[in-house]
Parts: sequence; structure tokens; C-alpha cells
Amino acid sequence: MNINSISKDDLPWIVEYDSEKCMLCGHCVAACSFNAIKVDVQKRKKVRAISNEEGFQIDEDQKAIPVIKQVIDANNFCRGCGICKKVCPNGAINVRRNQTEIFGTRYRAKTAQSVKRGGRSNLHTEGRTLDKIKVGRISQMTDPSLDALRHTFDLRTTLGRVVSANNLDFKVVDGELQENKKESLPANNSIYPIMISDMSIGALSPRMWESIAIAVAYLNEVKGIPIRMATGEGGIPDKLLRSKYLKYMILQIASGHFGWNRIINSMPYMQEDPAGIIIKIGQGAKPGDGGLLMAEKNVKLIQEIRGVPKADLLSPPNHQGLYSIEESVQKMFLSMNCAFKFNVPVAIKVAASATSVSVYNNLLRDPYNIVGGFFIDGIAGGTGAAHEISLNHTGHPIVSKLRDCYLAAVHQGKQGQIPIFAGGGIGMNGNLAADTFKMICLGASGVFIGKLILQIAGCVGNDFGKCNGCNTGKCPIGITTQNPKLMQRLDVDRVAENIVNYICATDIELKKLLAPVGNSTLPIGRSDALVCVDKNVAERLNIQYVC
Amino acid sequence: MKKYINTIENDKRTSTQNLMQEIWDAIDNGCTEFEINACGQHNIGGSVWSKDGSPLNFYIKNPGQRVGSMGAKGTNIYVEGSAPADTGWLNSGAKIVVNGDCGDTTGHCAASGKIYVAGNVGTRSGALMKKDPKFETPELWVLKSTGSFSFEFMGGGVAVICGIDCEDMPSVLGDRACVGMVGGIVYVRGNIKNLSDDVFLLDLDEHDIDFLKTGLKTFLSEINKEEYYEKLCAFNQSGEDNTTWHKIVAKTYEERKKQTNISLKTFRINKWFEEIGGSIFSDLTYDDFESYDLVQTGVSRLRKPKWKNYAYSAPCEYNCPIKIPTQKRFSLLRAGKIKEALELVLEYSPFPASVCGQVCPNLCLNNCSRASFDEPLDVKMLGSLSKDIQIKPFEITKNKKIAIIGSGVAGISTAWQLTKKGYETEIFEQDDKIGGKLSQVIPEERLSKEILETELERFKNLGITIHTSVKITNELYKKIEQDFDAVVLAIGAHGAVVIPFEGYERLIKGLNFLKDAKKGKKYNLGEKVVVIGAGNAAMDVITEAYKQGAKEVTAIDIREPSAFEKELNTAKNLGAKIIYPCFTQKITEEGVLLKDGKFLEADSVIISVGDRPVFDFLNKTYLDEKSNIKINEFMQTENPKVFAIGDAHRSGLFTNAIADGKHCAENIIKFLNNEPLHELKEKDVIPEHRIKSEYYECYNSNCDNEQNRCMSCGYCRDCGLCKQSCPQNAITRFEKENGKFEYVSDPEKCIGCGICAGLCPCGIWEMEENK
Repeated sequence: MNINSISKDDLPWIVEYDSEKCMLCGHCVAACSFNAIKVDVQKRKKVRAISNEEGFQIDEDQKAIPVIKQVIDANNFCRGCGICKKVCPNGAINVRRNQTEIFGTRYRAKTAQSVKRGGRSNLHTEGRTLDKIKVGRISQMTDPSLDALRHTFDLRTTLGRVVSANNLDFKVVDGELQENKKESLPANNSIYPIMISDMSIGALSPRMWESIAIAVAYLNEVKGIPIRMATGEGGIPDKLLRSKYLKYMILQIASGHFGWNRIINSMPYMQEDPAGIIIKIGQGAKPGDGGLLMAEKNVKLIQEIRGVPKADLLSPPNHQGLYSIEESVQKMFLSMNCAFKFNVPVAIKVAASATSVSVYNNLLRDPYNIVGGFFIDGIAGGTGAAHEISLNHTGHPIVSKLRDCYLAAVHQGKQGQIPIFAGGGIGMNGNLAADTFKMICLGASGVFIGKLILQIAGCVGNDFGKCNGCNTGKCPIGITTQNPKLMQRLDVDRVAENIVNYICATDIELKKLLAPVGNSTLPIGRSDALVCVDKNVAERLNIQYVC
Repeated sequence: MKKYINTIENDKRTSTQNLMQEIWDAIDNGCTEFEINACGQHNIGGSVWSKDGSPLNFYIKNPGQRVGSMGAKGTNIYVEGSAPADTGWLNSGAKIVVNGDCGDTTGHCAASGKIYVAGNVGTRSGALMKKDPKFETPELWVLKSTGSFSFEFMGGGVAVICGIDCEDMPSVLGDRACVGMVGGIVYVRGNIKNLSDDVFLLDLDEHDIDFLKTGLKTFLSEINKEEYYEKLCAFNQSGEDNTTWHKIVAKTYEERKKQTNISLKTFRINKWFEEIGGSIFSDLTYDDFESYDLVQTGVSRLRKPKWKNYAYSAPCEYNCPIKIPTQKRFSLLRAGKIKEALELVLEYSPFPASVCGQVCPNLCLNNCSRASFDEPLDVKMLGSLSKDIQIKPFEITKNKKIAIIGSGVAGISTAWQLTKKGYETEIFEQDDKIGGKLSQVIPEERLSKEILETELERFKNLGITIHTSVKITNELYKKIEQDFDAVVLAIGAHGAVVIPFEGYERLIKGLNFLKDAKKGKKYNLGEKVVVIGAGNAAMDVITEAYKQGAKEVTAIDIREPSAFEKELNTAKNLGAKIIYPCFTQKITEEGVLLKDGKFLEADSVIISVGDRPVFDFLNKTYLDEKSNIKINEFMQTENPKVFAIGDAHRSGLFTNAIADGKHCAENIIKFLNNEPLHELKEKDVIPEHRIKSEYYECYNSNCDNEQNRCMSCGYCRDCGLCKQSCPQNAITRFEKENGKFEYVSDPEKCIGCGICAGLCPCGIWEMEENK
């Protein structure tokens, strides 16, 4: 052991092993996808001595014992996923977070590489703003509250450009109001205020991606919940593009433009329009950085639908050819509107930034009525692969940014005209409905979720350093991997069912918030429903401070 | 006794409280009949009872809200015209007859009694009605329709909505009736729309019809509308229309709990796959959509083991230039096959005792897996044991002849290998005896004459034609090239290198010094000797110099000494000083002047910085501009049938030369058979961590059984530990012909845990990605 080598003590997780309990069934090593444990031999030697009537007796006992050992390696290290513990029949193995590790330092010193991983920010420096906000305006004697379980609610929101009443072009024909010119109104869709965020095929395994798509279809067709799924930009299979389920999909165009060839070639065969288009400029987990698909995950299927060879796929940090907000409106929004004959709302997604309000103000001036939504993604967003420095240190918290944008629109009397969708850590404390409701009251027309969906599906990762190995392609659950052996672990129907159940539960919980507030429709911008226990936050968000 | 109450007197309205007081007082006085001309007072007829239990009758005009609320059994209320909201609220036994419409929440929370309404009732009517088994079932009869949200959260009781004159309404129950209904029955005649999911809509059975026939008679007679009886009793019509009766009942607790939606699996297969034509990826990749457990066998395992016996070389083999598989020799010894073990080495080298056992620096031994554990195995001894092993003379079976120029270890190695394969070889040697530098240069201290001669004798016994004392001239060489099918230039390096420092003519050439010494010629070196160069040959020079009377020998070099540690130590132990880096300026009578101005006194200066081959017999076309022989990767010269090996193309160890000879012999055979030649391919050395030293006890001194100390790196020792420790019993040992064996892991049982690989003492099992 050299003092400069990486030692067990440096690793982020410690594998605790009890050889007394172990029966060497091999399950833990067989199931560990990270090669973080191995079978090895340990030498045990005991020398005993006693002096008795026969003299001074020395007796020696030496044996080599088979054991499970933690692998000590800068690349194959335990990420704390706990699969070993799950499969051990005897409780002989466990993983424990090493509270005193400085693995990041060791890793950089050893490899001259930046640390990469998946997941969300693992720094918890400020506490969650949304948890300091309570739904504080309860209908009691002032107005009737509703019965959350048995009354009817309309939870739909709008994706698409909403034209102000003054600009509507109506005429009266035979005593009835009619649109003067059919095409004068921009496209919009009534959808559920929670959207499944853009995770690409590639970042996710085909099974995981299809599970989400099936859950979305089920929620729409069986449960009547009009939820939509943003596809991410990793290519879309022709079979989906040409099916009626396309109507539940929001297609994405990011800086890599991966897979658009197949989308365009499928257009003549489409039975349905997609629910929307998202032009992805940036994302909250790695603002100012493009998509990153490590070569390990760029398998044949992905190469095919993306049209690229095996390589690390790094999308450019920007759309090459877009140099200003005005230009992006003219070029990207128009192209995408034209592609679907102005029948599909086109929105834009950016990472929350100090400049988001300027961007939103600029979009609000949209003279062509073609900007159908503004998606802002905050610093707590998740990702399949990013440099840790981006995850932990770049970006902007979402709550005040959403509020600023909404109030900027209010200032111009244009709130709701370009709906704002907010994401980045929504539901990360486990309660999606609470976060969604609060964001809506603060001015969001809806929210989008990504990492939470993976956790619902069975992802064992968390924001305290657990797993976060999405970038390695070795996801032990089969979610963020392209390895067929690992993907097979995923039960498509169970995953879809979990998503359906979670959304149904969220639907109930959303109503449990709407009912006491007395709204049967979404209280977008109804910030009087919120109170805040933190004076600074209250002041910043312009809501009531309570204590 | 009947009491008339007019609630407006002198244009003043009686308050609800005063009206109530008046009624209570009258009841106390035995009054049971009330005719009340009301003015919107609340609760008329509610919560009153007579002392003796005799019925109380109220005839009311223009009541306020909650007529008959909390009505007790024995109270009968008749309202002329309509009544506002909450009629019969919490009715607990009263009969309430309203001759017109009723407002919202009629019969709200009614738990007993009967309410008869001759018109419509408002929204949320019948909400939260209940049935207490101790009391009579509450009933709500309505001639026409209800407003929306009727029968919300209804828990019991019976309601009958007759839908008279409502045939054109989309729903006689308004919108979203029966939300949260958990009990009771609602009979409805007419259209119904948008009922809640909490109920079933059923056709009437005979009991229902009997109940309605009886009940309707009473209801219609109470409200004086007997004319509708026949219309309402048209139960047996065929087909559904806007006059059909239905019964609404709440789902039972069990029915509500039951999963009413299709499963995700059914949805996936019957809807999703059906619409799409399989999975969305089905044209791109195959997926059976089965979910697999975390621990798998067969193709689904993450990793699989492979028994890779002798796929890697052991460190001893890897580091030996001749690649002598010493681990195999020890394995044979362990198996008691001593003869085979000692013979095996002769397949690789004709000099196991002279080279392995004597002059070789034994790189094998330095890298032995045991070296870092206790002591390396004694390979020297093993080599020496092969000294007296004899081999049978070989027959010449091939009609090709190969000339070998030079009989150093390279030439002898080539001849040894070729002869064993049946080729005829002839050796041409310049010296009067064979053996090259082993015979001519290496001091006897390092190489016993007896051992060398025994091994040279064994070589000679092969019956090869050997020409000694032959000086190869250009003409002779040309003739040899012509007469033989292939020629091997194994001439060694016999031109001592001299660096032209000022005064170089004073230098004694180390090579000549050693050759002369071996022949018994002594030099008068004086007391102080400087040796230029600090390689292995220079160390031999130092040793010889001391032997010839030198008292103080200093070796200098421009870089770190290239001599091996053992040779260096021998020289140092004799008292030699090794100094570096030293750059020689000039050689004078007094000694050596270095470029840094330092002066080393010396009576004699010997240069030993290497030797070069002498190719004076070859045409220049064979040589490059530095007069080195031009060869390709197969050691083939310009002329494909001429090979140059050993020190003739690069200076190296004896083992390098022997390896060249073996490799060259293999390529000559290929060349003569018109087959493509091959480069020497190195087998990878087994990674250190795969050899498990934990199984071994540490020895302090050499043990008698070296073969048991050998860790058999990468070479299966057939211990069977893998088979025994496999948790899946997946490993089988197969016997093969001529004593060979193989271990195989059954993929259908193996889970890829790697216990076999982790425990294998020799590192034979290797885990691979199961692709």
C-alpha cells in the first residue's frame, strides 16, 4: 500500500462485509453492475503459545478464507446503489456513505479528468424555497371549499400562444359568435399541468423510455389525465411517429438535431400531430452545456436512430446559427411552426438564468403569435450525464426566476399569453403535488419533471451521493443503460404502473390543495393562496410573510 | 283542537322564535292541529312532539327554509304551494307533503320519515340521506326532477324521481348526480346524464316494481295527482326511452375497491402494441419484455467465467527471452515426472546448465511471483539439473541444408532446433573450438568448464558437421550462399569498440583482454586500473584485472551502469569503484583525464564499452551506412535465404541469442516450405493480482520441494477449488486424452459471480463481460 494510492477510505461509499454471515452464494458480485466488489482470498494466521508440563508449546494455524472485497479503483468504485444488499440472503453485506471522503479530490489528482456523473446537484447550500411556502389561504366561512375527492375539477392548462381578448378576430353570424378567419388563432392544446420532461432515448434505455410512453398513453386513455411527454432529443422510432400516440408527445429539437431526419421522413405518414414542439436551448442541470452521451451508451440502436457512429456524443452548447432572441424567434419558431402547418404549439426551453426575464420579455413581444410556451429549468434539474462542476455550481434556482418572469408579464398585462412552464427539482422532496401547486400559484402554467419519474420507476439514486452513475451506462436498475442485461431488470409494466399510480396520487393531492383554496380550476398566478415562513423569500416573491 | 296562526299582524311579521313559542305553547295546551299562514319563518313543523304521542298536523302556506327540519315521528306537514331550501333537513320521522316545488337541498340528511314533493327539487337534494336500521327508512318522492349534484354522498334511504313533464330534459337528475353515494336507492324515470362513477344504473326487478306500485299510490294520493298513476306504472314497456324507469344503487365497498381499470400489461399488449405493431423499437431491436431477476444465469448474466489455462505466461516465462515455461517444469515435478521436467527445457535451449544455471542473470527469477512474497524459486538449480540429460541423435529427414556461420549460442541454438526437425546443418567456426563467447570470453569463475563442455558435447552428439578454424572470406561466403538452401549469420560481436579519445592507442580492448585471459595469457596491468564502461562485460574485465594483480580498479561510465546487480556487486566486493557520469577527455601515460578536469590515475586503461560484429566477408549491399546488417522483422537480410541473428544484429544476453536461434530456425523451416514467416509473439504476462499468494506459507530459507513453492502462475494446478466452491455447482472437470484435463462452467447454472476467478490460486478463471 502506497500512501499516494487511492485507498478504501477515500471512496465515497464503504462496503461493509461480514464474512461470518456470508455463505458465498455469489449473488452480490453477480448482481453488482459497477464491478465495485470482487471475490478474493484473505489470509488468516494465528500463532498461539502455552507453557505447560510438556514445555513451551507453539501452535500455528494458517488458512486462506474466501471473502467479498470492495474494489479500490478510481473508475470502478462503489456508488452505494445497494443492489448487493438487496440480493444478499443473509444480510452479510451493506453499503455506508463515507462521511469523510474526498474522492473528488483524489479522482482529479489521479486522472486529470473532471468528475462526471448523473443526477441532480448534490450540494445543499440553501434549503428548498418551496418547502418554506405553505398553502395558507383556506376557504372557511368566506367562500365554500370543495370536496377534493368527490367534486369535479378541471386541472387542464394551456400549451400554446394565447391571444389577448382585444386581438381576437370574431364576428357575429346569425346571433352567434364566430371566428372571422380560422387560421387567425395560434395553435394551443389543453393539457395536464405536469409534463414529463425531455429525457432522450440514449440517456434512457429503450425499455424505460417506452414505459414512460405507455404510462402517458394509459393516463390519457384510461385515466383521462391529459398528461404529455416531452421526447428529448435522441431520435424517435418511426413506429411511434406513425402511430396515433404521437399526439401525447412533445417533440424536441436541441442543438444536436439528432433524429430529425427520421421525424421529417415520417411526416407524410403521421396520423396525428404531436402535442407540441420544444426548442431546447439549455437545461438546468448543466446550463450553458450541451447534451452528453458517453460512448458506453451509444449502442447500435442509438447510432441508428441518431445517425451517428460510436463515439462520445457531445451536443454543442448552443444552436449553431442562432445568435439572438429575435433571430431564434424568426428562424426556429417559424421553421417549427411551418413544419406542422401552424397546428402545433412551439415552445422554447432554457436554463434559468440571471437573464431569463429579458428573454421572456423579448418573447412576449412576439409579433407573429408563434411563441407557444416558455420553459425554464432551474439549478436542481437532473441529468443523465454532466460534469459535476456544472451540476453543483452552475445555474439558477427556479422559484424566484419563475416569479420574476410571471410578474414581468403581469407588468405588461400579458400574463398567460405565453404560458410559463417551470422545472428543476420539482417534486424532489417526494411531493410533486405540493411543488406543482405552489409553482402554479406563483405563476407557472405547469411544471415539468424528469428525475422524479426515474425515481418513481425504481431509480435508487438520490441527491446525497447515492448512485448517480447514470453516465456510466451501468445503471443497476436498467433505467439509464443501454446494456441489454441490465435493461432486462426493468419491468416495463411495473414501471408504467408506478408512474400511472404516482400521477393519479398526485392528481388527488392536487385536488386536496385546490379544494380548500376553493378553486376547481388551476389557480395560475394566485399567489394570495400562498404564505411563506421565511421573510426574505416572502419579500422576494411578493407573497405574505407568516410566522 | 286546531290552531290558526297568522304570522303578520298589524303589518308586523312574527319572528321565527315567537312563532315557535306560540306553537310550543299550543302543543303544551293539547293542540295537535296547526294552520299557519307563514311569512318565511324557518323550521316550521320541525322538532315538535306531543306529550301523549298523538300526531301533530301542520298546514302551512308560504313557509321559510327548512320546513319540517328535524321533523319527529308523528308530525305531518302539508305545504300549500312551494317551499324554499332545505325542506325536510335532517328529517327524523315526519311526513312532509309539498304541493309545489322545493328549493335546494331538499331532504338533506334525511334519516327517516317521508317527503312528498309535487314538483321539482333543487340542487343537492337528497344529499347525505341515511338509513338507521332502528328507524323507518327515509323516503323522498319527487314528481318532476332534481337540480344538479343530487344525492351527493347519499348513505341510505329511498328516493323516487318521477320525471313527469321532464321527458325533454337531458337529465332529470341534473348534472353529476350521486357523487360519493355509498348507500340507498334512487329510482328515476326519464333521461339521466353524467352520473358519478360511484354508482350502478340498473333495470328494475319485480320487488322494485311492487315497491313503486304501492308507493306511487300513496305519493300521488298525498299530492292529489292520482291521474299520473297509470303513466308512472308503465313498467313493462319494451326498449328504453325517456320514460323508462331505472334504479341507481351505490357500489358496495368491495365493488368500489375493485380495480376497475385494465392492467398496464393488458394495455401494453392490447392497445399499445396493437396500435403500433409491437414495441416502438421492435424494428430496431429485439426485446421479450420479460423482467429478469437481479441474479441471472445463461445469456442474461452480466459476466461469465472462462477457464483460460496457459492463456497467459507466468512471469518467469514472460521475462525469459527464450520463453522457457518454468511453471510447466515445476508442474511436471509436482506430478513426479522428473525426467519430463528436466527434458522440457531442452526444447527451448541447448544450454540449461551453462546459461540458465551459470551465466544468465535469470530475469525469470527476478520476476518470480514468489520474489515479492518470500524468495524466488531456484531456477538456476533447476537449469543445472538438466546438464546430464541426454537426447537421442536425430535423423535427417529433410533434403534441405542450412549453413550456420558462427558457433556461439545463437548458431548452436539454430542448429539444435533445425536438426531436431530433421534438417541438415553445417557449422562454420572461425575459432578452433565451438561455443563462441561462452568458450572464449566468460571467465571460469562464472562458467564452469566442466558444465560447458558437457553441454557442448551433448550438442556435438547430434552429429552435425562442424568446421572449426575456418576464416570466412568473401569467396567462401559466396560459395556457402550458393551451396546451401539457407544461411544463418550467427557471427557474434567480435570487434571490440574503441572510442577515439586523445591517447586511445594506450587503451587495452576489454574483449581481447578476456579472450587472452581465458587462453591463459596474462597482462602486466600495474596496480591501478581504470576500466571505461560499466556493463556486464566490464564487470568481467574488473574481476579478471584483480585476478591478474590489480589493486585498485575503477570503472567509469557516461550513464548508470548497465551491468546487472549481481555482476556489479561481485566487482564492488573485490574493491572496485564505479563512478558515473564521467566523460573521458584523454588518456595519458598517468591515467584518464575527465572532461570535468578530474584526473584518474591509472597504470592501465581498459575499454569495455561493447563489441560489434565484423561483416568483412559480406557484400556492402547487406549493410547499412553504419556497416550494420540490414534485416527485417524476421531477421531476414537483403537475400531472403540469409538470416542474421544474435549479437550479429544487436548485442544482448546469451538468452536473447538462444531465443533468436530458436525463432530463426522456425522461420527458416517456414521459408524452406514457402510459408509466410512469423514475428515472435509474446503472450501477455498474467496480472500479478490474479496470483493468490494468500494460500502459501512463507518460507525463510530454500525448501527441499521447490515445486511446491511454485505458485503455478496462469497454469492450472488442478486443485479443484473452483469446482468445490462454485455456489451453483456449475463447474465440471473433464478428463482429456494423454492426461490432459479441462474445467468447464455450465452457462445454464453459472450466475457469473466470479467466485471461481476470485479463489483460483493460479489465476486461470477469467471473468468476461457477457456480451
